[in-house]
Amino acid sequence: MTQRSESATLEVRRRVATLTLGGRPGNRIHPGLIDDLGRVLDRLEDAPDAEVLVVRGAGGVFTEGIDFADFAGGNPDVHGFHRWERVVTRVERLPMATVAAVDGPAMGGGFQLVLACDLRVGTARSTFALPEVKQGFLPGMATFRLAKWVGLGVARRWVLTGEVVGASELAERGVLDRVVPDGALEDGVAWAVAALGPVNRVALQLARRLLDESFAVSLEDGVGHLLACQARAIAQEPFLRTLRKAKGSP
Amino acid sequence: MNAAPRLVGVGTALPRKRFTQAEIAEALPGLDRRNAAFFRDRHIASRHLHVPDLGVDGRLRDETQGELLARHLDGALEIGAAAAREALDDAGCPADAVDHLACVTTTGFLTPGLTARLLPVLGLRRDLHRHDVVGMGCNAGLNGLQVGSWYAAAHPGATSLLLCVEICSAAYVRDASVSTAVVNSLFGDGAAAAVVRADGRGAAAFAPRVLGFESHVVPEALQAMRYDWDDGQGKFSFFLDRDVPLVVGAEVPVPVARLLDRFGLRQRQVAHWIVHSGGRKVIDSIKYNLGLTDHDVRHTLSVLKECGNVSSASFLFTLGRLLAERVARRGDVAVAITMGPGVTIETALLQW
Repeated sequence: MTQRSESATLEVRRRVATLTLGGRPGNRIHPGLIDDLGRVLDRLEDAPDAEVLVVRGAGGVFTEGIDFADFAGGNPDVHGFHRWERVVTRVERLPMATVAAVDGPAMGGGFQLVLACDLRVGTARSTFALPEVKQGFLPGMATFRLAKWVGLGVARRWVLTGEVVGASELAERGVLDRVVPDGALEDGVAWAVAALGPVNRVALQLARRLLDESFAVSLEDGVGHLLACQARAIAQEPFLRTLRKAKGSP
Repeated sequence: MNAAPRLVGVGTALPRKRFTQAEIAEALPGLDRRNAAFFRDRHIASRHLHVPDLGVDGRLRDETQGELLARHLDGALEIGAAAAREALDDAGCPADAVDHLACVTTTGFLTPGLTARLLPVLGLRRDLHRHDVVGMGCNAGLNGLQVGSWYAAAHPGATSLLLCVEICSAAYVRDASVSTAVVNSLFGDGAAAAVVRADGRGAAAFAPRVLGFESHVVPEALQAMRYDWDDGQGKFSFFLDRDVPLVVGAEVPVPVARLLDRFGLRQRQVAHWIVHSGGRKVIDSIKYNLGLTDHDVRHTLSVLKECGNVSSASFLFTLGRLLAERVARRGDVAVAITMGPGVTIETALLQW
């Protein structure tokens, strides 16, 4: 099944769905792309047939980031940025596992999307940067997410200097899970898809959410949240199947 | 003119006396260390209680069941009338224009019921249609709203007044059980009222419509939450099984999905959630089972923090705070969820 639109294409093959950023040169982010992403996310949330979503860019670029051409006409307002954040948060909470597969530059919003995915792979030549502060605005909720990944010091440097970071450094910092040779992105995707299976949607979503909350919640609250989640997880079929297997029954 | 009933006014009232959790723990003698810990949960800061003055020893006097019932009635008339007047004011509706009154309470049994006793207090007409919804528990605010909405829909232009009033402090007992410690550290007193009308006239033209209800009863858990007679105490006493929050969380997606399906809605289209402030555990359980955020339950949590669980009145406190926030826009959809003994989950769909 393929869902095509100007700038975001969704293709579902058996258990793997692939979302490809495209459209404008450099797969730049613009209001139409955000609309298209919203429609793709509607489709993925409403019919979560795939177990894994791979997010990638067309033509050897993940995305060069925001397209300022759309601001030329009038006064910039903050609502477009809000719509972008909603899309990134929805990617982060999808009812399937997610993989960012990066080849070439992942700038600004591209880097932000990478941080929303469960696993992240990239080719050796892929590059990452948050140039927004140098351009006079803010790199979205990367300001919120990035420090959890790399610590406050490195996050501050990357956000304030807009430094372009290579794949190997990003892997050392634990943001990229695997770096593959140029031209071998499919190997990285195959590794990530295999590593994530079998996907137990409920447990995956709950674990992802608890991990995300771990920096902001007291231990006392965290235990309460865990138990609320655990009660839900152990009532689901995947855990009951695990129990049956342990008992030796089919 | 729209036939759907609308919530054209909301009002709330609390007893004047406010206590911190530490003050309540001190006023209730005989708490052991384990049970005292329930009063240190930071999700509740204070509660308003309609109780007699503390004794010279700083303690609340132990009361007989008769005294507790009298206190329930006294408090219900005082804060119930205040909440009702505030809701009528909010709706711009004089008391003698009320055609129907539904009163909801669980924390005291009484005949004649609150509707008859409030009639002269509020100055309501003698041809008033009345329904007393008694003994249904924390979920009963939405059961009361069903009655009010159905009355309003059946009588376009008529005014229904819903009043939920709970003097939970008249349900406190003194024993060393965990269940009693949970009850005494959780429940507070409060009253909330709503004016329902099906023709949209009045001051609040921008008022949420009540589109429909879905109920879900889990009879397997009938014994898990009870307010019944305890021979040993010679009083009514509340019992709460420790698994209740988890049962509610596991079941809550069922009526919510049914409600949204009926109106062709997806959960992501729900802009606001009005969840009963049942307690930290059950709110967490609902949050993680429905995938709600802390922002979605911000008013639920703030009502819990400032008032405790005020039983059937809680959801109207939460709705009142949402309305006061003025964030709802035309077309926004809200889901209200209340839960209580049965085990019951009641849901309602609102739209601005």
